[in-house]
Amino acid sequence: METKKLCLALYTGSVDKLTAAGVILGGAAAEDMDVEIFVLLQAAFAFKKENAMVNDRVAEITDKKDDFLASLKRLGTPHWTEAFKKAKDLTSIKIHICGFAGKVWHGEKLDDFIDLADDICGIAQYIQAAEEADLNLFI
Amino acid sequence: MIAIEELKKLKADKVVDARGTACPGPLLEAKKAIGTIKPGDTMEVLSADEGTKSDLPKWCTKQGHEYLGTIEESGYFRVFLKKK
Repeated sequence: METKKLCLALYTGSVDKLTAAGVILGGAAAEDMDVEIFVLLQAAFAFKKENAMVNDRVAEITDKKDDFLASLKRLGTPHWTEAFKKAKDLTSIKIHICGFAGKVWHGEKLDDFIDLADDICGIAQYIQAAEEADLNLFI
Repeated sequence: MIAIEELKKLKADKVVDARGTACPGPLLEAKKAIGTIKPGDTMEVLSADEGTKSDLPKWCTKQGHEYLGTIEESGYFRVFLKKK
């Protein structure tokens, strides 16, 4: 069976959208897809070591944030970092931090980001991956 | 697929209890467990997630496994499949 490729431009730094991304990655992992994730601007904030586990910002329906976070807990939904890791354990997922985005949030080195990140990249790598992908998503 | 009465008698080679997880948990538990059984073996996935009823048959079709059927119990589903 031919391996399909998913290219995800991950812009968001909000846990609601990162959780959605984690769900999609779970589906991609179940299908054995090869996944390339490009961590852009606000997502680089969420991927910083000091932010990943304490950042609880939501992008939408912000007045119901407490309900939303409580529901995630009630449903046993893993934190987005855990969902990403589970998916990464099951299929090929490479996570690239955009060099510019890293600098915006004072992250110059790979070590400034959580261990899920594989490298720091430039935009040409994203364009190439997007051109080669069967499915492109922007979150 | 096989008849529901036959399905009820089936003793699967592997049972995966994913009732404590929401989507995509049951799918991922199935994906992990399928690697632990032999081709031709059967697997039963227990899930309380409504989406599993459509997800697992579609996943079986795409992965080449045989979807055998689903039994609805009170508050959860038993989804049966055979590894390719």
